[in-house]
Amino acid sequence: MTVLLGLALFFWPSRILRSDNFVFYFPNSRHVIPLEVIENTKYLPLLQVLNLVGKLNGLQEKRNTLKVGFGNIQIELHVGDRKIRIAKEAISLSAPVRVSNGKWMVPTDFLTSAVPLLTSQVVEYQAGTNRIFLGDVKPGSFTLRLEPVSNGARLTFQFTDKVTVRTASVNGKWVMFLGDHPIEPLEQSFHFQNPYVTDVYFEDQDGLPKVVITPSAGGLNFYPLLAEGGKILLADVLKPPPPLPQTPPPSGPTPTTATAPAAPAPAPGVTEEGPATQLGPPLPVVALDAGHGGDDTGGHSREGVTEKDLVAQLVAHVRLALLSTGRYRIVLTRIADANATFEQRAEVANVAGAVYFLTFHAGDLGGSSPRIAIYTYQPPSPPLPSPDGEGKSGFIPWSQVQQAYLDQSRQLAQSLEQQFAQIAGVTTDMPGTAPVRTLRSVNTPAVAIEIGSLSPDNDVGPLTDPAFQQLFSAAVAKVLAAMQGGGA
Amino acid sequence: MSRRAKLLWIALLVVFAGGLFYLRSLVRRTFFELPLHSEESAKARLSAAVLQSGAGPNEIALLYFPSLNDRKLVGESRPVKWAPSANDRVRQVLLALAEGPRQGLGHPLAASTNVRAVFLTLEGTAYVDLSNDLLSSINPGIESESLAVYSMVDSITANIPSVKRVKILIQGQEVETLEGHADLTEAIVPDPTLIKTGP
Repeated sequence: MTVLLGLALFFWPSRILRSDNFVFYFPNSRHVIPLEVIENTKYLPLLQVLNLVGKLNGLQEKRNTLKVGFGNIQIELHVGDRKIRIAKEAISLSAPVRVSNGKWMVPTDFLTSAVPLLTSQVVEYQAGTNRIFLGDVKPGSFTLRLEPVSNGARLTFQFTDKVTVRTASVNGKWVMFLGDHPIEPLEQSFHFQNPYVTDVYFEDQDGLPKVVITPSAGGLNFYPLLAEGGKILLADVLKPPPPLPQTPPPSGPTPTTATAPAAPAPAPGVTEEGPATQLGPPLPVVALDAGHGGDDTGGHSREGVTEKDLVAQLVAHVRLALLSTGRYRIVLTRIADANATFEQRAEVANVAGAVYFLTFHAGDLGGSSPRIAIYTYQPPSPPLPSPDGEGKSGFIPWSQVQQAYLDQSRQLAQSLEQQFAQIAGVTTDMPGTAPVRTLRSVNTPAVAIEIGSLSPDNDVGPLTDPAFQQLFSAAVAKVLAAMQGGGA
Repeated sequence: MSRRAKLLWIALLVVFAGGLFYLRSLVRRTFFELPLHSEESAKARLSAAVLQSGAGPNEIALLYFPSLNDRKLVGESRPVKWAPSANDRVRQVLLALAEGPRQGLGHPLAASTNVRAVFLTLEGTAYVDLSNDLLSSINPGIESESLAVYSMVDSITANIPSVKRVKILIQGQEVETLEGHADLTEAIVPDPTLIKTGP
């Protein structure tokens, strides 16, 4: 039996067990790159890491050997070998160098053993975590305690730095986005034997620090409240009050500062967020769609930067630019590295009643970089006349929903193009039309924005440049503000 | 144990280990890697035969190739001996596109793309079933995928007037997109506005 089991294991092809993300925090930016776990060891794509840490001068790949020019240093690696050479000095890694899906992968201890030799910046990395801080970055932290209150439980988060909080409900869990400041928690997760809260964990796989709270049962209400200028966060998980007579939550926040109980998420992989304290009429919703995700990586650059990661970065910037205006709520059609279907993406925007839908892509646009192309939806073919008179009922087929908004979508595309054209160094083209699958069923003005050129023949540097991404995001915010009638 | 017996054991062990690794690669090839179907290679041979089978007079076929810099399709002409049936003409157009452009334009189909099947309906829809090799020539992206799709659709409809729209299948299956961008769920009508007209 043992022999058979051994033989089965021997013949079974080795494969990646799971994929996560790794976040690089810099003083003014953050970058998310995919992390692979191969045979219980975390691996990072070497060229992406080097591109973030500094500048590549050249590459030479021969069979199982890779030589990389990095500044005035040469790095040499061999597939299957733990030893690498940096400026001819041998360094031993915890696991052998690998090639996965055409990418050279190094174990994460490369960050502690090699990166400090390659950069003069301060490197702060706690082994085992999926984040690194480079340069003058001072991450915050927090402690957490749980205590019972009447009709529920209270979570008290004590932060070292001020945070802002925006809430969302995803797959029956509550997510609290903690603003923009990097956080390195003392503990990643907390488990409770409690009738109201099962566990709380910290997550920043998409570069956005957040805590995720899992309730012990359905039907509970959630009341987050910031106190002491943003250094203490009280989150009450309470049984719903009886319908009559109506009473305020016994230990909840005061009515002027309470947020509404978070609603269930309309579809998997969705966040809905807006100002934590909201008075007056609801704010308009903007749906942001980062193309691809999960196994669908989209295109990739010469250095191995994938479309799904690049557009996720871009969406994070646009989201912040829009939220900072205080004029919108944002729904994201995907969070982290999930791959929502086309239908789910449209459904998220439609259910949220979004006023605009923007889908972001990166691809081969030829010519100079950065280049931005904007598309509105082009139906692949005109609808065939229905023999039985279908359509007279007033229902619009799901696949033709966007066709009612083509004029407004074109207007949005033109405004975006004019604004992007004002960014120095950026080439834009007149808005075009294309049968973009994601746009087909979106029930609001919608455009696809493609940045380029992301292709194996091009340097991705101009597109990952934080300055470009910020100018791009500011342009989007300015256009939406103008379209809403308020100017920038 | 004598020195000779030891050497014999070591030699046997080496042979056994070698055999084991050969067996391992054999198992992987057999069970874990995609086999090269004889059906595929037969279809490839058929495609080549169809391209050469035209018996008619020399005529001109107009092929549209993507030009990413212009965001347009650029026409190139080719001498062709059309096959008698419209199905085979569609196949001829696709194989000519797979051969590639002559003016440094983009490749809408990889040279290794196999036209697995072509089927025409009475309403003028051409169903073209392509092997997934076609994806290897296209960098994913809205622009590049859309131009590749319309390169096929506009070329087919320009040369075979009985075809009004084209439905693209990959490996015999309906697919939503090529690489996450251009909608392939419906049959596509040609878009003449994509064709570059001026110099």
